[in-house]
Amino acid sequence: MRRVASLVVVLALTGTACSSVSVPIDDVPELPPTTPEDVAALLETSDTPVVLNVWASWCVPCRSEAPLLRAAHAQHGDAVRFVGVAVEDGQRDARGFIAEFGLTGFEHLFDRPGTVPASLGGRGVPLTFFFAPGGDLVHLHRGVIDERTLALQIDELVRLVG
Amino acid sequence: MEFTLLGAALLAAAAVYGVLYYEARRANALECTRELWDVVLIAAMSGVLAGRLAAMVIGGTNPLTNLPDVLIVRSGVDTGWASLTALAVFGVSARRDLWRIADAVAPAALAGLAAWHAACTMRGACLGTPSDLPWAVASEGSAVGRHPVEIYAALALLAGAIVLIVGKRRHPPAGMVGAAALLIAALVRLLTEPLRPVIGAGPTAWYGAGAAVGAALALWRWRVGRRSSS
Repeated sequence: MRRVASLVVVLALTGTACSSVSVPIDDVPELPPTTPEDVAALLETSDTPVVLNVWASWCVPCRSEAPLLRAAHAQHGDAVRFVGVAVEDGQRDARGFIAEFGLTGFEHLFDRPGTVPASLGGRGVPLTFFFAPGGDLVHLHRGVIDERTLALQIDELVRLVG
Repeated sequence: MEFTLLGAALLAAAAVYGVLYYEARRANALECTRELWDVVLIAAMSGVLAGRLAAMVIGGTNPLTNLPDVLIVRSGVDTGWASLTALAVFGVSARRDLWRIADAVAPAALAGLAAWHAACTMRGACLGTPSDLPWAVASEGSAVGRHPVEIYAALALLAGAIVLIVGKRRHPPAGMVGAAALLIAALVRLLTEPLRPVIGAGPTAWYGAGAAVGAALALWRWRVGRRSSS
């Protein structure tokens, strides 16, 4: 029984390695630096809803929710714009995070001083903001986001437009 | 683990213990409450751990290199693997008299699941797909009414627990109550799943398989009981 269980665990971990979504770090471009003004302009001019996730490579909960955001982008990326803002991070570490979790599908901005979240009304990491087209804040989720909340809030955004 | 999830887990644990305690003086002659509680708790904890590890593996995160992520249960627990593991661990812990112990803990397990779903009110996670029904609830700042799907699930599981508590007084064949609990739990998830907001395909196939296994086991135990009584 123990041997079978060990075999299952080894196979599962091998499967993880083989089906990894990671990309080489060299495939991830430098993240463009941003400011609160840039982000405000991006939100105001966006004609689609925006899910803005604030993350950092050193933040364990951010690592934990990254696969969920990748899956949400794969499913809703055509109707909703996904933006990641890396805060208080280094370029190489941030690029490594994007590469590790294969988050290359959506745009990322680099906010080294970490001033963007406060300008939007949030504190700490991770944060997930849900904006209607034009930049009105619909919902702010503080902390790790779960699948139900993410799916529900994206549905709310899609219905605002539809 | 986040505090609202911890609160939900504590509520579920209290419901399990409460029903075990209630049943101890009525139907559960085989084991004392504390022993049954240990069996349920070990199975549940093993299930959560396995479900979290499975969710990480499926999401492309290696648990060995990202060990702290295991604790962040809110990011996802794969319900299918969690249930399978919990059932397997329960099977090993209760192997000396599997069917009778399964019958003894079945109503408590359903009550615990009902409490877990009802605790969505603490976590702000009750709402599902849009609905025009009179009892639809809108999330804060929204005009879209939605099914309070977790409350549906909680009520259905609570009703299932009551049916099993009453049914046990009729002395059904050994194992039938436990199998019926598996059928009810899987069926409730199967029927409410289309009302939940999900990312990806969702684990509907797991619930379908669970309901089929529960129904087959209940039928088998009923036939075994009939054969031995005739």
